[in-house]
Amino acid sequence: MDTKVSLYLDPQIRDWVLFPITLVMILVGILRHYIVILLQSPPKKMTRAAIREQRALLRSQILRESSGNSPVPPAFYQSISQHLSQSFESGSYLKDGPPKSDAPTAPPNPMSDPAAMDGMMAGMKTQAVMMVPQMVLMGWINFFFQGFVLIKLPFPLTLGFKSMLQRGIETPDMDVRWVSSLSWYFLNFFGLNGLYALILGNDNSADSSRDMAMSPYAGVGLQQPAQAQDYNKLFKAEKDNLELAEGLYSWTGKDIETRLLKKYGKLP
Amino acid sequence: MASTKDDAAQLIYTPNVQHNGVLNSAKFLSSCFAGAVAGVLGLENWLGFGLFVMSILLSSAFMYAINCKGRPAKYITGGVWELVNPGQDNMFTFVLVWTLFYGIVHVYD
Repeated sequence: MDTKVSLYLDPQIRDWVLFPITLVMILVGILRHYIVILLQSPPKKMTRAAIREQRALLRSQILRESSGNSPVPPAFYQSISQHLSQSFESGSYLKDGPPKSDAPTAPPNPMSDPAAMDGMMAGMKTQAVMMVPQMVLMGWINFFFQGFVLIKLPFPLTLGFKSMLQRGIETPDMDVRWVSSLSWYFLNFFGLNGLYALILGNDNSADSSRDMAMSPYAGVGLQQPAQAQDYNKLFKAEKDNLELAEGLYSWTGKDIETRLLKKYGKLP
Repeated sequence: MASTKDDAAQLIYTPNVQHNGVLNSAKFLSSCFAGAVAGVLGLENWLGFGLFVMSILLSSAFMYAINCKGRPAKYITGGVWELVNPGQDNMFTFVLVWTLFYGIVHVYD
């Protein structure tokens, strides 16, 4: 005997609940993305000396990174590497000039340095913007769309989900597959990320999965281009790394003539 | 310090890797359509997920043959697994679209 009982649902539920919830969530996601873009303050302008300082470090890192299979011929690699090593040693790239040997410089305290505070505030603002729409939407759905069955899930779930997915519907016997609007909210919450990637491009701020993964750390580290660090120490460490990398250096075009001839069989 | 993986990583050209994002769009669209098909056909439980797996295999077979020309390691870092793997997002998208169409066609009058 077929014990499957099917509930009949009013098509108006579909028109007035199903589609509107989805539409609202898509629009809120897009809105969130653009608000985050608008809220991002333009990066603080740094002096030429400060930029030069950062870029010097970056240059040596780029050089080091591909040293094992370097596209740069030996003459160039070695001259750049040695020039950078000497500059780091003498401190000629430092923002305030070569260090005076007696006064030890302390890195600026993040709390007192106004530039760093701006960075942290920006991060926290972004976090707030991400969280608020989720809370508001859940409240809206709970308030207006409560107490009725919305849709039937095509796959079964355990009874443990009943309390979460059938909130507001007091029927102990009904199949867990009949769910309320809050569960449609959750389905949309997880399922729309792919759509945002398609519409807004890869780096969008409407991605909910990214919220949950990043929430403890985000904002504090990202916006700050390492302004609170002591460049002198960094330069010293970088100089050591440079020398290490120079030891490992090997040009990808080394003996290229021989390799090429061997590949085409002209040499044994 | 210079292990094989480091050497391999140094040879990657970043803009090309970023262009691989088009494969992600293809995977997303195919999981949307798979969801729609599963919903309209009224597939339930394992049949629905089975259809999802079939659609992944089919679309990655096409990507393997046409885009990667039979050599995924040359085009995609991570090789065959990264080509076939739909990712968590597409899984949820499939479930969402499947539920939507199942509801529209089979639950509502």
